[in-house]
Amino acid sequence: MRKATALFTGAAMVASITPAYAYLDPGTGSMLLQGLIAGVAATMAAGSLYWAKVKSYFSRKAEDQTKDDLGK
Amino acid sequence: MTMHGFLRHPGSYRDPRGHIYVAGSDIFRTVSNDVWPEFQTIRPVLARFVDEGRLVAFEEVDDAPDDRGHTLRHPHLPFISYPYEWPFEALKSAALFHLDLQIDALKHDVTLSDASAYNVQFIGAQPIFIDHLSFRPYTEGEYWTGHRQFCEQFLNPLLLRSCRGVAHNEWYRGSLEGIPTSALNRLLSLRHKSTWNVLTHVVLQDRLQSRTQKDATTADRVRSKKLAKRSYLAILGQMRAWIARLSPADRDTTTWASYAENNTYDDEEKAQKRQFVRNAVARYSVGTVIDLGCNTGDYSRSALDGGAKRAIGFDYDQQALDRAFLNAAKNGTPFTPLFLDAANPVPDQGWRQLERSGFASRAQADFVLALAFEHHLAIARNIPLSEVVDWLVSIAPFGVIEFVHKDDPTIQKMLELREDIFGEYSEDTFRAELLRRAEIVETQTVSRSGRTLYLFQRH
Repeated sequence: MRKATALFTGAAMVASITPAYAYLDPGTGSMLLQGLIAGVAATMAAGSLYWAKVKSYFSRKAEDQTKDDLGK
Repeated sequence: MTMHGFLRHPGSYRDPRGHIYVAGSDIFRTVSNDVWPEFQTIRPVLARFVDEGRLVAFEEVDDAPDDRGHTLRHPHLPFISYPYEWPFEALKSAALFHLDLQIDALKHDVTLSDASAYNVQFIGAQPIFIDHLSFRPYTEGEYWTGHRQFCEQFLNPLLLRSCRGVAHNEWYRGSLEGIPTSALNRLLSLRHKSTWNVLTHVVLQDRLQSRTQKDATTADRVRSKKLAKRSYLAILGQMRAWIARLSPADRDTTTWASYAENNTYDDEEKAQKRQFVRNAVARYSVGTVIDLGCNTGDYSRSALDGGAKRAIGFDYDQQALDRAFLNAAKNGTPFTPLFLDAANPVPDQGWRQLERSGFASRAQADFVLALAFEHHLAIARNIPLSEVVDWLVSIAPFGVIEFVHKDDPTIQKMLELREDIFGEYSEDTFRAELLRRAEIVETQTVSRSGRTLYLFQRH
């Protein structure tokens, strides 16, 4: 009986954490994977943003150079 | 007020927060009282998506199919299609559209609770989202709940073609929830698996899923962890960049993809056909044209030039369909090319066989085009000519059918290694069968082999 109560309380707690609208099973594999790749994904995103900045800095420089050359 | 005459759509049962009802030509959506306040908070974001043409419009109405909440009315979409009918390029376009929508929603603290491909529809080759209750407020730290479903319904079918050169349509049609990650994992080679994206989203996801299935503690473990919003956005962004790079692995041009350029007609004959179709459509007030054997959509365009509002094309050649879709998307043509094996059309299926309707109930048009088509059923698939005519005439009250003679090079090719068992197949039989069901309005012979166009008006 006590076991059943504990189980019920546990289930009720889980139910209260799980959003009522989650009618879709996200899958443990998908969630664990997201946890694993989260850091890598964020770093890669930050890295590509940084890389884009570097590229645009140099392309702007090259553009300025071309303009200068044309000016001459 | 509760109104009579509302019929709940048989496919709308998954989400208890609301349902779709059909009344006449109107579409209604109930929103239950308990989620209405939440819906109100995200409403400005949804209104913005409607303005951008990315979400079907909605308005709140007083009529209600039940007394459990509020009701929205939506405009009727001209044609519903399913991911198992979409060519690769359409599924890819729907996938990118879905990710863009999620990324933009998340920036406004709104998220999508699922990733069902059936929530995307096409107007022409332009995707539009149809499920307003998939949106909900974002909670800091939450996971991408729809990731697994996104993989099964968008990513895996695309990978099947992009890694293996196998189209997704037949498998997807049999497995309505998409292609399971575990199945795809078994099919990919080591070369595919050694790339970061496949390794993580296919191999690792499958391993993690199968290893933790029996472990009761996993669910609690993942539930206690959180996903930072920037990581969520980064995962979506990287998935988007990956899918944008995918292309079909089968690059050898198929017979039909190059058909528009290399077929047995010369340019003058093609021009005659185009003009006949344009003039035929212009005689009537045509909303929807169904173009069977549409190839890259040449004659659908003629029908649109003749005044048709939209064309839905069907073909079984994947490369021709991909080209047709990309052309329509690029030019904004109201033309939707879809996959169809006419000898085995999509059936009514899903829950109670009512969830997803078959070809017959959806393919009711104002005008049907069947150019260079009937012999593919009557000769290549052995279907009696009377039945082919019967089926074509059942699709629309008006249409153009091209009759191809037995001595035409394409039929000669079909019969090259076969015995000619088609004694009944002749233009006389065709004409007699057509006259039993329709009036022949006009005919025109368009090729040296005697190919003839018949404009019919159904009795």
